[in-house]
Amino acid sequence: MVISDEARSEIDREIAKYPEKRGALLPALHILHRELGHVAPETAQAVAEIFDIRPIEVMEVISFYNMFYDTPQPRHHVRVCSNLPCSLRGARTLLRQLESHLGITVGQSTPDGRIGLGHEECLGACAYAPMMRVDHKYHEYLDAEQAKRILDALD
Amino acid sequence: MPKITIDGQTIEVSEGRTILQALDDAGLLMNGVDVPHYCWHPKLSIDGSCRLCQVEVEGAPKLQIACNTPVADGMVVRTDSERVKTAREGVMELLLVNHPLDCPICDQAGECKLQDYAFEYGVAESRSREPRRALQKNVDLGPTIVFDQERCILCRRCTRFCSEVTGTRELGIFRRGDESVIETFPGTSLDNPYSMNVADLCPVGALTTKDFRFKIRVWFLEDVPGVCTGCANGCNVHLGVANNKVYRYVPRRNDLVNDTWICDSGRMSYREIGSGRRLKQVLVRGPDGVPEARSFEAGIEEAAVRLRRIVDAMGGDALAGIASAHATNEDLLTFRRFLDALGATASGAAVIRGEADDLLIKQEKAPNAAGARALGFGDPEQVLERVRSCNVAAVVVMGHDVLDDVFLGGVDSLADIDTVIALDTDQSALQRVAHVMFPVRHAAEKHGTLTNWSDRVQRVTPAVEPAWDARSDGEVIHALGAALRLQGFEGAYDVRAVSRSLGSANPAFAGIDLDSVGDQGLPLHDGGDAAEGAHA
Amino acid sequence: MLKVPYVTNYLTEHFGDDAFGTLPGYEGHGGYEAARKALTQMSGEDVIEAVKAAGLQGRGGAGFPTGMKWSFMPKETDQPKYLVCNADESEPGSFKDRIILERGPHLMLEGILIGAWATGAEKTFIYIRGEYAQAADEVERAVAEAYDKGYLGADVMGSGFRHDVVVQRGAGAYICGEETGLLESLEGKKGQPRKKPPFPAQYGAFGMPSTVNNVETFAHVPHIIGRGVDWFRSIGTEKSPGTTLFGVSGHVQRPGLFELPLGTKLHELVYEHAGGVPGGRKVKGVIPGGMSMPILPAEELDVPMANEFLRERKTMLGTGGIMVMDDTTCMVRVASVVAYFFRDESCGQCTQCREGTAWIHKVVDRIERGAGQQEDLDLLLDLAAKMEGQTICAFADAAAWPIQGLLRHFRADFEEHVRQRKCTFAESFGL
Repeated sequence: MVISDEARSEIDREIAKYPEKRGALLPALHILHRELGHVAPETAQAVAEIFDIRPIEVMEVISFYNMFYDTPQPRHHVRVCSNLPCSLRGARTLLRQLESHLGITVGQSTPDGRIGLGHEECLGACAYAPMMRVDHKYHEYLDAEQAKRILDALD
Repeated sequence: MPKITIDGQTIEVSEGRTILQALDDAGLLMNGVDVPHYCWHPKLSIDGSCRLCQVEVEGAPKLQIACNTPVADGMVVRTDSERVKTAREGVMELLLVNHPLDCPICDQAGECKLQDYAFEYGVAESRSREPRRALQKNVDLGPTIVFDQERCILCRRCTRFCSEVTGTRELGIFRRGDESVIETFPGTSLDNPYSMNVADLCPVGALTTKDFRFKIRVWFLEDVPGVCTGCANGCNVHLGVANNKVYRYVPRRNDLVNDTWICDSGRMSYREIGSGRRLKQVLVRGPDGVPEARSFEAGIEEAAVRLRRIVDAMGGDALAGIASAHATNEDLLTFRRFLDALGATASGAAVIRGEADDLLIKQEKAPNAAGARALGFGDPEQVLERVRSCNVAAVVVMGHDVLDDVFLGGVDSLADIDTVIALDTDQSALQRVAHVMFPVRHAAEKHGTLTNWSDRVQRVTPAVEPAWDARSDGEVIHALGAALRLQGFEGAYDVRAVSRSLGSANPAFAGIDLDSVGDQGLPLHDGGDAAEGAHA
Repeated sequence: MLKVPYVTNYLTEHFGDDAFGTLPGYEGHGGYEAARKALTQMSGEDVIEAVKAAGLQGRGGAGFPTGMKWSFMPKETDQPKYLVCNADESEPGSFKDRIILERGPHLMLEGILIGAWATGAEKTFIYIRGEYAQAADEVERAVAEAYDKGYLGADVMGSGFRHDVVVQRGAGAYICGEETGLLESLEGKKGQPRKKPPFPAQYGAFGMPSTVNNVETFAHVPHIIGRGVDWFRSIGTEKSPGTTLFGVSGHVQRPGLFELPLGTKLHELVYEHAGGVPGGRKVKGVIPGGMSMPILPAEELDVPMANEFLRERKTMLGTGGIMVMDDTTCMVRVASVVAYFFRDESCGQCTQCREGTAWIHKVVDRIERGAGQQEDLDLLLDLAAKMEGQTICAFADAAAWPIQGLLRHFRADFEEHVRQRKCTFAESFGL
């Protein structure tokens, strides 16, 4: 069973909201990411069956969006906003500091699979710069020490 | 009907069409009015992404894409202005920025729209100093197609073909922006009965067929219009010919027959023409029962002597004719007259049946089954029953389809017939039983017409000349008739004259012959196939 | 608590009050009275006329008149009609919609309800960018409250009007802020903008007549209906009435959110409200309306922030996201960040955009690394010209304009890189 019964019924509830089934595809992929961390091809196949579409269409969608993954992911996604407003307020310096703190570079994950570090385009927190997103939570007005403490506290 | 003016020329267009569609309808697209385009294709949905077909529409501040701009009465369009030229140059330059420019080793070279349009509409030199995008070369997409990601310009014709035409959806576009790339679902391949069409659709050298890759540079090929003989659909093709050899079939557009497509098995059937299995000699069975090579004249004489003896002794009723639906209407009409002249009453055509689909592939696996029926060669069961029960003394048989399990199931039942005269393109088991066997020409080697499943009469012309003494079925039968001194078989065989007389044999052919059908064919008049001709 | 420094006006007046996000809190400040007025005292046509007369311009970036947009919705149709709320705020420099979503979700919902009544829409899809998880949670909570109170559902406020709201979360793609890219994404597809025609009012969400409006645009509507057209027109300029939420970020003392009348001078925003540049440094340039809009040099901060004035300076209000750069800033680096963003976010459909954004980024980066040539500057302008106005959506324009703006006002920075074969801005932010 690739998709749990709980996820399946949650997906069905989403489907009911839309005039066409496929409208609930993004919600479904969010549900599955929350449950599985990523949507592998075999999961995509199961998703395609639910939505009466081809598995390749699910994979195309996954590949288009930054927040969807088709391979196993680290436990936590840490994304430092590196767009202009944040860069003007030290985001890139912060990113370099986090790189050396974690011993990895942007795009990599810690060997224990705990943290994947990346930069991200504008997260809509320009006045709170610099900032980072840890999974679904924003951390704003950051300095390096604070940011490191937040990362160290992750499980 | 609305009228639009393009570059000063006013044309009538159909309501609801876009500028590019209207030009295509009028036969003007790239044939008088040049609007270069990549993503647009007459048989696929409008995509609007390549942006090459931008034109100036009076009253619109921005350039408009001709593919998606609906026509309106009084619309004034310019395709030749400076703004249009600059826009085209821009698109061409941008498409070439990441293109590998490996034309010397690219199979598309010579029929590449990127080459052609770069020459016509591009700028002479690239201003890019940046490294080109490195992607995968030689991706094995499936049994028929190889993909070069670097050459791909993302026009999305192939992906649309697989979702809109075949419905198989094997190809997708993954990621986005300049990382966009065409791929299959992990672990699957491009594999459907029409897969090779994506190579024709691909305007560049990104998708090529494994079959044609590296065979020959296309500029050595002459495109000869013809018809695929794989099934009763009669898909229009161009035969790619060089050195008296057919290198490939590519679909030739006929909106009433095959749009712009052909199935893979039909496409690959070109190989039958140059096949090593071709029969190349007239064979006459010697006294010991072993077939021996003879001259054509010797074969005719032997056959004539045998047939004359039987007909004189037992009448025409002792003769049966089994026609092939691979033969042309002209071949079949000649055969029809031959059988009639000898008073033969038993005849039919053996047509092998197979799988069909809703797109192109038809059940009858021969190109002229409808033509055979229209000329009196219907269901062969009666004649086959007489063969099986040895109730005939002579059989003239065209082709070896009759040996199929659904018909005679081999040659055993023919072995006891006094005289078997066979005509075949290929070597076959018929050699074991035929008293005389004549090699005949493939449809790609002769003039003639074929009637497809929907009663459309289409023509074939000689694309190659056999290197051995092969004649059309009609010419062989005519020579035989002449040797038998049959009325109407005097003089040399004239395929055009036979073709012109099709209408007298069956009024459904009135006015239809191999000259009048043109490149797109003509429909039989009502009642052609069903009437089964004058001799039914 | 609203964390950032701010200046309030009618939209944000109560954003400091945590209770304002709840339905009772919102109603305590007169919330939903405008919707009640619209549904009980006005026809849909009346509402559209009022919004037209108010001169409300869309606040999502293009500034299209909202009333006119609503009037495009077919009146006589058997098809269901949909409203779509564009909460996919992703324009670098913009964070105003997020604050409305988090602090005033009912204000937006009330605007949606009035818009639905005006256009006859039976359902609204609120598409919130996936990264705005907290905002989406707030909106979902507010929607649930509205259903409980009978402000959404089968019989809105006892009027017999049915309206449903569905919240969908995006998944990280800037292009989904483009209205037809959003519609595609809403339908579970890649967010690739649709070619037009057809337009959304004929063929929108799920193929049905639809109108897409931005979060802030909806938030203005209850105030227009509640307080009247004349009141609305008394704020802002003749051509651009009302306030807007200006976000100021970058090199300023107090980055924040400032709700001020349209037509407020950029100078006032930067120096008075955001406190000017810290450390005694000077302003070098200001991007006035989100990253897509061309930059202005320090000498041009006298411009009133409304499209009729900004257009004269070859830029636009956009989303009102103001980014301030001080005199240490290397404008080639700015160009590099801008170019990278548009390369990263191009959906990849149109040739000019897919190839042009990547090429521009590569050239700018090479100039920044000191490997640029004089010709590269003209090449950049030529590429920008070839991208502008030639693609399915305005993304390529948005990618071209800032590069044009940077070269228009800061060509010297680029030339210096070419001459010195390196970046000479030692104190600039690093890449």
